[in-house]
Amino acid sequence: MTILPTLKCMSVAAAILASTSALSFAKDLTVTVWAGGTGPNDVYRLDAIDIAAEQLQREAAIKGEDLKIKVEKKAYSGWEDFKQAMTLAAEAKTAPNIVVTGHEDIGPWAQSGLVVPIEDYVDLDSWPLNNIYENLMDIASFNGMVYGIPQDAESRPMFFWKPHMKAIGYSDADLEALPEKVQDGSYTMQNLLQDAKKMQDKGLVQAGYGFYPRYTNGPDFWQFYTSFGGTMEEDGKLVFDKAAMQRAYQFFADAVKQGVTKKNHIGMPADQWWKEVASGKAGIWHGGTWHYARYVNQEGLKDFFGNVVFTLIPAGEGGKANTLTHPLVYLMTSGHDKDDTEIAAQLIKIASEPRINVLHAVKSAHLGISKSETEIELYSSDRWTREATERLLPYANAMPNNADFGTYWNIMWKGLEASWTGAKSVDAAVNDVEGELKSTLGDKIVIR
Amino acid sequence: MRTSRTLGLIMIAPAAIMIVLFFLMPVVLTAVFSFTSMSTATGISGGAYQIVPNALIALKEEMPEVVQQLTEPRYVIDEAGIKGVERIELEPGIATELRENHLGEVFPSRREAERVIKGLNDRPSTREVKQISEQFNRSVANLRFSSKEELFASLDKLGFKITPEQKESLADATYTGWSWTTENFSRIASSPDMAQVLFNTLLYVALVLMLFNTSYAMLLAIWTHYMPDAPATIFRSIWLLPRITPVVIYVLMWKWLAWDTGFISTFMGKFGYAPKNYLLDNAYNAWLFVVLINGFIGASMGMLVFSSALRAIPKSQFFASEVDGASRWQQIRYIILPQMRWPILFVTCYQTLSLLASFNEILLSTRGGPGKATEVWSLAAYHTALNNYAGNLEYGLGAAMALVLVIIGIILSLAYLRVFKYATLVARPLIED
Repeated sequence: MTILPTLKCMSVAAAILASTSALSFAKDLTVTVWAGGTGPNDVYRLDAIDIAAEQLQREAAIKGEDLKIKVEKKAYSGWEDFKQAMTLAAEAKTAPNIVVTGHEDIGPWAQSGLVVPIEDYVDLDSWPLNNIYENLMDIASFNGMVYGIPQDAESRPMFFWKPHMKAIGYSDADLEALPEKVQDGSYTMQNLLQDAKKMQDKGLVQAGYGFYPRYTNGPDFWQFYTSFGGTMEEDGKLVFDKAAMQRAYQFFADAVKQGVTKKNHIGMPADQWWKEVASGKAGIWHGGTWHYARYVNQEGLKDFFGNVVFTLIPAGEGGKANTLTHPLVYLMTSGHDKDDTEIAAQLIKIASEPRINVLHAVKSAHLGISKSETEIELYSSDRWTREATERLLPYANAMPNNADFGTYWNIMWKGLEASWTGAKSVDAAVNDVEGELKSTLGDKIVIR
Repeated sequence: MRTSRTLGLIMIAPAAIMIVLFFLMPVVLTAVFSFTSMSTATGISGGAYQIVPNALIALKEEMPEVVQQLTEPRYVIDEAGIKGVERIELEPGIATELRENHLGEVFPSRREAERVIKGLNDRPSTREVKQISEQFNRSVANLRFSSKEELFASLDKLGFKITPEQKESLADATYTGWSWTTENFSRIASSPDMAQVLFNTLLYVALVLMLFNTSYAMLLAIWTHYMPDAPATIFRSIWLLPRITPVVIYVLMWKWLAWDTGFISTFMGKFGYAPKNYLLDNAYNAWLFVVLINGFIGASMGMLVFSSALRAIPKSQFFASEVDGASRWQQIRYIILPQMRWPILFVTCYQTLSLLASFNEILLSTRGGPGKATEVWSLAAYHTALNNYAGNLEYGLGAAMALVLVIIGIILSLAYLRVFKYATLVARPLIED
């Protein structure tokens, strides 16, 4: 009769012992992830970390460790608020473990020590990291160190509303050939303005709706600088090609002068712009590959391929057709416990696996980060991702990761805005940009 | 007497601390920040020393040999490193294999050294690979040192032959943090954009102040003064609504009114006008809305001050003037306005200062657009220091801009104090003498 209590006692003791030994391997961790520019189609930027946490916990269990990861996610729909929140939080040492941001932030954030290189924590030679496109890995690097892992790729095409193009004389065959003609340089920025004007003259679109550019600042405008022969960086030094910038500014000033773009287009409500380009109210516009998801999912444009043709940004004088890729990257912030940062790095690595990343690519109409991803059926059977990858990605440039690029960008945008709105003549705007670049960046920028 | 003085000091202490912390410190910090080159890229809390390729390119001409030394491959599998590996107590086979098969090997980068480590028989985990490779690091490339001394100590430890002068130049070139500078002020003084922003600010303050905060407020006060009490109270309450409505909602209502699917567009559509965004259609429209939005909010304060000041005028004066056959206009001109000098000055002073510093209504309605047409000084300072798309927040320049505003505010305050004859206002009442 005494055996039972003894057994009971022993089993309780064993259970306590087991629980304490398990505790010695146990790790409860909250990983915070913030993502900028993230709308309802981009949820997998954050959810991928959730899926990765699930996987990592299972891997830990097999090794006999009790790892519990709670992922706290925060999506910012815009960029300004996100960058403000992130930089101020990082300065106050309360930054999230992982941030998803534009690769151009690597320069300033790495220089100021807000982010740590991921290559200190992961093996870049192992899968899936060794499968990611090399140029994307370069874009995620700064000063020869890999700071982040590309979260997605994209590019920024020119869109044409097919019915309007047909109404001004393009046949189906012409429209089919348009991407090719843009690519080989036989359809240029001048042709684009002419077509936009024709659409307005025929009453297909209202005045100012022929060419309907992005309505806010953004990386897109560097494509126009490239189109007109500009270079952003050479041998690690920023470059300001005055003549090319002048031609790019002139293009927008001409568009306004010809009445195909509104003088006060910048700053219009976002919802209005999206609705107008997805409904044929605008004739020609530029946007990103992810626009496809919004047009189809939120804006009610069901027959995208029947209504829209997309191409590279056409060549302007002195330049060539191009597009810009602006990969977002997963970055890890400093100021956290090393073990936690290592787990964050593992999560990023797992989230970059093709099967997980493809969920984001297809749902949000971004492009894949690795070769294997394009071989997954979900990706290869999706007409948009397939065509956009083939047609755009080989011609994509990226903005440089340079700690001073943001300053250059702000000044460039100010000049563009001034010449666009007529606040300054194009010559005056370019001269002011030159002056301001000289006084702020000095010999950090080559002016030619 | 002494006790009461001490007691007074103690009682005032919490307020004094608050004043120092929340009023004085921000201004002092703004002044300090304004003389720095602080930005996102330099960080706020101070920089580090990091030998990166870009910094070395800048030093190439000045000290080619040092740069050459620093860029040489520096991952070396040597005895000291292997001893280090033994100290971190991993599988003993790791150190043995490194010593037997790889002693003396030199690698140009960490990645290549790590490839060898990963190929060892006792395949270490990624974390262990990083620990091992660190033992063989004989370079300072890309490492961050929090102080000059740490950088120099590391250079000495690794056996680099660098003179003290060269070390100083190296430290200067590799410093990632901010420095003291007066450049922000010269940028403000020389930039044509800043001149435009200054002009916008003056225009904004002058228009809102003159049209609404004083004139319209006075008009409201006089209107309600001549009304029976009950409707006057209702009227004043209605005019308080813009002030007490949360600003985001209030501005959103204006946006609904003005954008191209909003009320004005729908209404004008009935007369055949194409819908358009009236708020941002052109700079004049944007200004009109900015002035209206701020004016309707700001007018209520003047209205309240003027109304109460009006009540303080003895009624007998109005009765007497009526007996003399004075018209309303004559009452306003000869009774009301002369006696309202101080309230008008007070409202003008107070509202100038608050308009100079306020930008939230503009940010919410036009964001300073279209173009930069409605960008005022405080909004420009905010955009520079705390909010821009490119993410390179220029704290130093933004602080300098804010400081200019603070200085203008202080000068105006002093000027107003003189106009108010503050000294006479706070003078001891004659009756107590």
